[in-house]
Amino acid sequence: MNERLNGKAPRKLLFLFEILSLSLIFLYSWEGIQTETYVIAVGLVLLIYFSNFLLARISKGDSYIFLIVCMLISIGIIMIYRISPDLGLKQLMWLTFGIAMFFAAYFATRYIGFWERLTPLYLIGSYVMFAATLLMGSRTHGAINWINIAGVSVQPAEVTKIILVFLLAAFYGGDEKYRRMKNAEMILMMVAYSFIGLLFLQRDLGTAVIFFGVFTGLQYIYSEDRRLIFANLGLAAVGGISGYILFDHVKVRVTTWLNPWPHINDKGYQITQSLFAISEGGFFGTGLGRGNPSFIPLSYNDFIFSAISEEMGIFTGIGIIMLFMLLVYRGFKIALRQDNQFFRIVALGISMVFGIQALIIIGGVMKVIPLTGLTLPFVSYGGTSVVTSFIALGILQGASEKRGKAGAANE
Amino acid sequence: MFDLLSIVLKYVFVFIIYLFIFTIIRMIYLDIRSVDYGNLESGAYLKLLNRIDSLPYNLSDSYPVEGELTLGRQKDNIIQIKDPYISKKHFRIIKDENEFFLEDLGSSNGTYLNGERVLDVVRIGKGDMIKVGELEFIFIDGA
Repeated sequence: MNERLNGKAPRKLLFLFEILSLSLIFLYSWEGIQTETYVIAVGLVLLIYFSNFLLARISKGDSYIFLIVCMLISIGIIMIYRISPDLGLKQLMWLTFGIAMFFAAYFATRYIGFWERLTPLYLIGSYVMFAATLLMGSRTHGAINWINIAGVSVQPAEVTKIILVFLLAAFYGGDEKYRRMKNAEMILMMVAYSFIGLLFLQRDLGTAVIFFGVFTGLQYIYSEDRRLIFANLGLAAVGGISGYILFDHVKVRVTTWLNPWPHINDKGYQITQSLFAISEGGFFGTGLGRGNPSFIPLSYNDFIFSAISEEMGIFTGIGIIMLFMLLVYRGFKIALRQDNQFFRIVALGISMVFGIQALIIIGGVMKVIPLTGLTLPFVSYGGTSVVTSFIALGILQGASEKRGKAGAANE
Repeated sequence: MFDLLSIVLKYVFVFIIYLFIFTIIRMIYLDIRSVDYGNLESGAYLKLLNRIDSLPYNLSDSYPVEGELTLGRQKDNIIQIKDPYISKKHFRIIKDENEFFLEDLGSSNGTYLNGERVLDVVRIGKGDMIKVGELEFIFIDGA
């Protein structure tokens, strides 16, 4: 009877999972293992364990989202380490940095009160990010979305995602003077479409879809003008169709989605390998270290879901989907409980970003929807992705706490 | 050796992941924050399961049970709830030689223990749910 009330139970399960999986993976790459690997691995397990412990003490807000995410990163890191120990090691460092940023973002949202008054800053910030990408960006895998800052590659679009959420939240839930401007919502829509257009130019289709999804979702909830919503949907349809006709890279995605088998040697290679991997795994997978995830290009990144399904089974894959559903559910719950309109929209927006991103990439690798290159938040390898996802999570955690009705002063 | 271990552990991993998800869902369902109750208080106490801020009256998170704990609308109750649904003297919990008993004091809308209406006196133990109107308490015996 008392067991179901024990808040420590999931923490213990998480701990057990990590110990087992890490020892298995060390056994797998017994030769060529370095002492620092142990140190970092043990460090990560302790870090996750203690950050959960600490968070339960300092935060009166939600206590589930961080736990859920810890499970996701644990599944991700062992898969990445198994595919490439070097990347696994790097990912461990990114995760450590990410968790530190989680706490930083949490305290920033908790103690800084003027986030809803920075609308112009968000607007300028987003355009600066886009300009930086277009001017200094380098092209990888067909998309210009990386820039190099002091030897570290970052993906500005990942950061812009969070800024977009803040921009929309500040518009709908913050200072009223922007909403009172003539045609304010029309201007906001144009801004959103200019972002989407710029992402299209960078050929970063996945992120463009996220931007569109978040914008449409929040517009649907908060816009008072129903006509604009229909205009938005109409524009999206027109844009999608003309994109298909005008741009080759869009056409390729759709062709390989409809029928990749004739193109198995070139453009359909990734998706077919992904499908082979998922079917190879079956219900429980081949077992860690016993599959061939290296057959899939980018198996540690965009296609990590297929790699996990191959070695740990589709049950683990379904588990990941359920974890994301729980995460989004908690995010919505946080939004419902939040009285502060600005933070309510921020919580909604961030949950939507997680949900849409997971949906697009998992659907993509399973050939349910056209494939667009995105990372699976918290699971895929990628420094920027991990750090920005953790920042977003920290903001969500901060938004889960009771706040005064800031912004009410303006209304 | 490694192969065998890997094959065994893949089932274990799936099991752990699902158990984890299941535990989280159950905790969300019961709406319990992951805190260590043992450190909060020792001894027996009643813990309120509703979110305090969702209630229109002042209540604290938990009430220790020392000797006798009473709940009702009247002022002399230890837990006073100004809710017309709750009777003037609604129920009480008595400690008798390290055993705890819940007694309904003839309330009009009843007291429910784990979903069943309490008719006069019942023994309660660790983890029992006590429901009065929209309020839900859990009885925790730390000793």
